[in-house]
Amino acid sequence: MDELHFIWQEVLPALWRGFGVSLQLIIPSSLFGLAIGMSVGALRVFGRPLARRLADLYVLLFRGFPLVVQLFMWYFGLPYLGIYFSPFLASVIGFSLRSGAYQSEYVRGAFLSVKHGQMLAAQALGFSHLRMIWTIILPQAFRRALPGCGNEIIYLIKYSSLAYMITCIELTGEAKIIATETFKYTEIFLIVGAVYLILTSFASWVLHRVEERMRIPGFEYLKA
Amino acid sequence: MSRTEAEKPILRVEGLTKRYGSKEVLKRASLAIKRGDLKVLIGPSGGGKSTLLQCINFLVIPEEGRVWLEEREIFHHRKKELYQFRQKVGMIFQDFNLFDHLSALDNVRIGLVRVKRLGKAEARARALQELERVGLKDHIHKYPAELSGGQKQRVSIARALAMDPSVMLLDEPTSALDPELISEVLAVIKDLGAHGMTMLMSTHQIAFASEVASEFIFMEDGQIVETGPPLKILSDADCDRTREFCSKITELYNTSF
Repeated sequence: MDELHFIWQEVLPALWRGFGVSLQLIIPSSLFGLAIGMSVGALRVFGRPLARRLADLYVLLFRGFPLVVQLFMWYFGLPYLGIYFSPFLASVIGFSLRSGAYQSEYVRGAFLSVKHGQMLAAQALGFSHLRMIWTIILPQAFRRALPGCGNEIIYLIKYSSLAYMITCIELTGEAKIIATETFKYTEIFLIVGAVYLILTSFASWVLHRVEERMRIPGFEYLKA
Repeated sequence: MSRTEAEKPILRVEGLTKRYGSKEVLKRASLAIKRGDLKVLIGPSGGGKSTLLQCINFLVIPEEGRVWLEEREIFHHRKKELYQFRQKVGMIFQDFNLFDHLSALDNVRIGLVRVKRLGKAEARARALQELERVGLKDHIHKYPAELSGGQKQRVSIARALAMDPSVMLLDEPTSALDPELISEVLAVIKDLGAHGMTMLMSTHQIAFASEVASEFIFMEDGQIVETGPPLKILSDADCDRTREFCSKITELYNTSF
């Protein structure tokens, strides 16, 4: 019974606190990541050569460097330039930029899959370049990119645990603290694992619902 | 309309030339179309018909040449003017090029709302009217994936008509259709012609074309080889190559003139 009492009194409140911080990291980061991915993806397909190069460089850097290194740069590196971010802000920036780099790749693929003829048709109707991308290409590309983008959001949920490396104490961070104090690594991290599993399951359910909502004839995925 | 007004060309192009590298795919093509004219481009595939049509509204930017719409020269690098001009030039593609994520109704409506800036209700009414005109009143909520080829092409015609074009360019509008579906599209085009729409169309439907066209333009190797009334081109062309093409194509479609 001691065990249960301990979990109820000590572990759950701490994990609950951490869970809240995790959500505060995940939700804005995934939304910013998606927005960055859409814009950078569009630039990489439709941008002028210079913009395209810069966008490619962004993806190269933010996909190429390990995430932990990126977080260290935002939190420990930038103060050398006189820029200070809180652990939370540094984490959100780090996650958003990394996620955006990956998302842009899914989005780029989806943009390329939209049939060229539709762009000619839009131009022939008098659409400007930007309006064509916004009203004709993006809605189709978004539908095609959704499964990939959802995948990246699931990843993000899990790598949000790296925030504790720069002292932003979220779910994993809280767990680590209690585990070190009590040496009950197995029990505590099993609970933490289960929480991440619930989070990712919930996210994939939501993403699936979004896919359902946006389903239109011609865009459905073949069912086995 | 005074007589001189009717004589003025709606659309005039002069010396249109398009090169890809050192290869000239369109060579100094010139033509003029008067109000209510239906001119038909014929000639072998790869002869420059599509390129000519796409150069006219600058979907493909020609290296040389000038384009006038209703006596006004169009400069394609002035973007605002270019977009205005394209609204006045309806374009029909061989592969329909409907917007896959929009219903038939929205395909027709989107240009009215996003480009012409009409109000929602007004755009809807206009879109319905055009879809009814092409006989698709019962299919307005279907998506492109749910429509037959002939229906798709009729939606694309409705989409172009809704913009109130002064002239329409049709690039082999029936070439991607099953034989059974061709007639429904041809009927719509014929009806447009009867209502005085000015059109420039490329097609291999020689029998139909000779029935509705005011002039045939024979193109080969990126060049306009010969122009004239359909019957003359088909049965008594001046140029050897035109005669050869026409005898083959009339034989193929088992028609005589």
